[in-house]
Amino acid sequence: MATSSVTARRSRSRSRRPRVLAHAGLILFGIVMLYPLIWMLAGSFKHTSDIFSHPGLFAKSYTTKNYADGWTANGTSFGRYIVNSLIVVTGAIAGNLLACSAAAYAFARLEFRGKKMWFALMLGTIMLPIHVVIVPQYILFSKLGWLNTYLPLIVPKLLATDAFFVFLMVQFIRSLPRDLDEAARIDGCGHFGIFFRIILPLSKPALATTAIFTFIWTWNDFFHQLVFLTDPKMYTVPVALRTFVDATSQTPWGPVFAMSIVSLAPVFGFFLAGQRYLVRGIATTGFK
Amino acid sequence: MFHKPRGVRRGGRRLRVFAVPLALALALSACGGGSGSDGKIHLTMTWWGSDTRHATTKKLIALYEKSHPNIVISPTYTGWDDYWDRLATTVAGGNTPDIIQQDFRYVHEYADRGALADLKRFIPSVINDSELDKSAMSTGRLDGRTYAIPTGVNAFALVVNPTLVKQAGVPLPDDKTWSWDDFVNTAAKITQATKGAVHGTEDMGYYDGGLQVFARQHGEDLFTPDGKPGMSVQTLTEWFNLIVKMRDTKAEPSASVTHETWSGGIDQSLLATNKGASSFWWTNQLSALSADSKASLELRRMPGESQAAKPGTFLKPAMFWSLSARSKHPEEAAQFVNFLINDPEAARLQLSDRGLPINTRLRDQITGQLSPADKKSATFVKEITPELAPPPALPPKGAGDVEKILSRINEEVLFNRVSVPKAVQEYIDQVKSATS
Amino acid sequence: MPETHDPPTTLLADGGEGHGDPPAAPPGERHGRARRGSRPRRSFSERYAHYFFLAPWFAGLFLITLGPLLASVYLSFTKYNLINAPEWTGLENYRRMFGDARFYHALKVTFIYVGVSVPLQLALALALAVVLDRGIRGLALYRSVYYLPSLLGASVAVAVLWRQMFGTDGLVNGLLGHVGLHDLPGWVSDPRFALGSLIVLNVWTFGAPMVIFLAGLRQIPRTYYEAAALDGAGRIRRFTRITLPLLSPIVFFNLVLQLIHAFQSFTQAFIVSGGEGGPADSTLFYTLYIYQKGFGSFDMGYAAALAWVLVLIVAALTAINFFASKFWVFYGDE
Repeated sequence: MATSSVTARRSRSRSRRPRVLAHAGLILFGIVMLYPLIWMLAGSFKHTSDIFSHPGLFAKSYTTKNYADGWTANGTSFGRYIVNSLIVVTGAIAGNLLACSAAAYAFARLEFRGKKMWFALMLGTIMLPIHVVIVPQYILFSKLGWLNTYLPLIVPKLLATDAFFVFLMVQFIRSLPRDLDEAARIDGCGHFGIFFRIILPLSKPALATTAIFTFIWTWNDFFHQLVFLTDPKMYTVPVALRTFVDATSQTPWGPVFAMSIVSLAPVFGFFLAGQRYLVRGIATTGFK
Repeated sequence: MFHKPRGVRRGGRRLRVFAVPLALALALSACGGGSGSDGKIHLTMTWWGSDTRHATTKKLIALYEKSHPNIVISPTYTGWDDYWDRLATTVAGGNTPDIIQQDFRYVHEYADRGALADLKRFIPSVINDSELDKSAMSTGRLDGRTYAIPTGVNAFALVVNPTLVKQAGVPLPDDKTWSWDDFVNTAAKITQATKGAVHGTEDMGYYDGGLQVFARQHGEDLFTPDGKPGMSVQTLTEWFNLIVKMRDTKAEPSASVTHETWSGGIDQSLLATNKGASSFWWTNQLSALSADSKASLELRRMPGESQAAKPGTFLKPAMFWSLSARSKHPEEAAQFVNFLINDPEAARLQLSDRGLPINTRLRDQITGQLSPADKKSATFVKEITPELAPPPALPPKGAGDVEKILSRINEEVLFNRVSVPKAVQEYIDQVKSATS
Repeated sequence: MPETHDPPTTLLADGGEGHGDPPAAPPGERHGRARRGSRPRRSFSERYAHYFFLAPWFAGLFLITLGPLLASVYLSFTKYNLINAPEWTGLENYRRMFGDARFYHALKVTFIYVGVSVPLQLALALALAVVLDRGIRGLALYRSVYYLPSLLGASVAVAVLWRQMFGTDGLVNGLLGHVGLHDLPGWVSDPRFALGSLIVLNVWTFGAPMVIFLAGLRQIPRTYYEAAALDGAGRIRRFTRITLPLLSPIVFFNLVLQLIHAFQSFTQAFIVSGGEGGPADSTLFYTLYIYQKGFGSFDMGYAAALAWVLVLIVAALTAINFFASKFWVFYGDE
């Protein structure tokens, strides 16, 4: 008894200094990670002509005009592009959450003929660089009459074509102890019961990860959106931002930076809101 | 050839889950691009540029739609880099826009594959060419067909920042008589005088504009009129030696800095950031450079013109208008092109954004309304026009690749990765295979 | 908690969707029973459950993914300039690769990039995830801040930023100048260092694997650690005996996916080098070369052939990865 409390005290005092050191290290590291955002933020308040002649954080004078200019540039409110992006993102998240987790459950927990083959094929589909499939895809969606709609950006997600997330969830589900399923099965649960009542609730971190990544990657995905959407009213945020940037003439960099900051807000907001679910795994739901 | 969609057998209530976002997407698609069910003629149009061009062009469309209530024009636009990827994909998918903004390097590429319409039958009945710059018009022709109408012209020239030159205390030789050596020596002196704070000039080997003027001064060209590689070993050797000399005399910055400024586009060039006293650009880029640098920049003639048997500078079409070969309404599209190049109101809106207007009467008319920088380029072009030789024919297909080959080899020379003779050989071999 | 009657099961029995799907494999009943024969009673719906769960995925595979995929296989045997119909040329595209110096160069650049950046990025992500998982105060804040660079993604501002940091007159050289180091190269623009700076850029966006590691760490029941602590296991021991084995499926996932992604790296090289893979081809990633051939030179047939060679390489490496995983990945379901 006495010895154990001595060791406990010793270990506590030993661990306090490293803890401060750890924070100092983490903060220092954080500054390195934050620099780009701060720099972009500073850039968004500089006059366009100062961005390259005064490339550091500081300029002689600052302005908020970039935000007003960028928001209304091209005669269309930037808000419209944000709404468009949100539509695509919402569809993509719904699709990935439902379709990918269902497929992942089958690959992780069910036995069926050819499972390994299908799984390998699924992984194979993400190995092909997009630049050689985009033209056939474009032709396919053109034949379906889906061009200039959000269907080519949403329907594939509803059909679990994003193998990354299927694989991600397979790995998470497989790391859940199988005793849980067996217990539920003894209680009379079928696969659907197990999936909806056991697996999904316990996979919250994986689902949150999927939602967050889908949001970010869809929000930033540029090439598909550029090719499938040609009507400026349908443009999403990354496509709209790129319409400003032209190497052959003057690019309004100030407004570009300002709108880049604006377009970061929803992503970062979603990340902040979603990240608390990342920590609600077995560890915190009180599983025993 | 491609996988055809098959009907999916769908049953069961659970599909409702998927149906909601799907219906949402479908409903939204309804407000997107339109079909011709309203009895109007629908045209699609595409261009590249920055926000000012997007705004102007949309105004042009609105203006035209107002006077032609039966026409609806749906635009799509983006920056230069993405423009060509998207155009290639839409053309491959059989959705070529009716009206296409084209570039010198790609007209042949698209025309050769049957993507562009022959406009000859619309000239002069629909597209009035009576006031159009004759020699520039010839650049849109290929094998007796007219595939492209130039939007306007500009010339390759040296942009100079007189304030920085003056501060360096180096006199600028007379641009009517100066040679390439004069130019390089002056630039080197500026770098020396400012101890490298300001570079005399910027590397000129990434883009094909300088090389083309140089070639023409030597009685050659990038391509022969029938589209074969047109440069001799001797001229190329002289060119790359000139580049090496500019690097070694520090007339231009180090290879690394050159790479950084080049990949940053016009806004990060030495002139734009006041780190260089001169650089070669197209005359219509003077206004962007002036706005970036906030300096009063000026234009000078290309070096070596007076020593050459024939001048190298020419009026190059800034860009072109082309029509899709598969357009359902080619005549209406041609009428719109006629509006873009011949209408005084259209000219007043566009000014020199797509080069100095190809319509020579309108070119003179708008000069008074131009911004100070644009007015300078207009005056400069007018002044040198009598001295110029006719423009070259359209480059062959693969010309877009040729500039990239040039950039790459130029960079290898700058970084001392290949010798000049080897660079020359590589250039000749690669251009040959790219254009064959 | 579970009920005897399970609504979704009935739903499937009603709908009966899926088993008519032509692409699906024949009923795997016998096979399934052989593997999990201990199960006392399997209802009809239970036996065909995988059709239900995989129905969207099958539909996506056969309607959306497979068509363009097979089209690209076909295109790799043709000369296709994106406008005219493809022209069959047999193995010509593949034969051409043998004499293509830039192809070999792109392979080399890509292998160096993958070989260096993937282990570095994963090690950093895992280390920070473990540090942050130790109930440290301000966890959410650190996690968000560390994730920020990954949010920037392909933003047009990244190229400008990177040049500003690693250029000849950039921030890094400025800081090094303060400690007496002068005449430094431009890290992004010197062919000797440009690839290295792209590796740094990639490692810097370790946020995605870090978040996945963190989520994985949270799946590990705390009771295991408590039990180990009672047994007197030290920090390192707990890491190697509990964390690593239980996290191994996630480590494996990150390894496989980051490898596949790294081989396909495109955006960063594209935006930082202005799409050219420069300076002097030093950052010519394989996919960048594919892009240049397909869209720059209108040589989509050759680009498709290049792409399929990449698929073969990545597939082979992934297969090796999966084989090796048998020896070190531990699943909770085994």
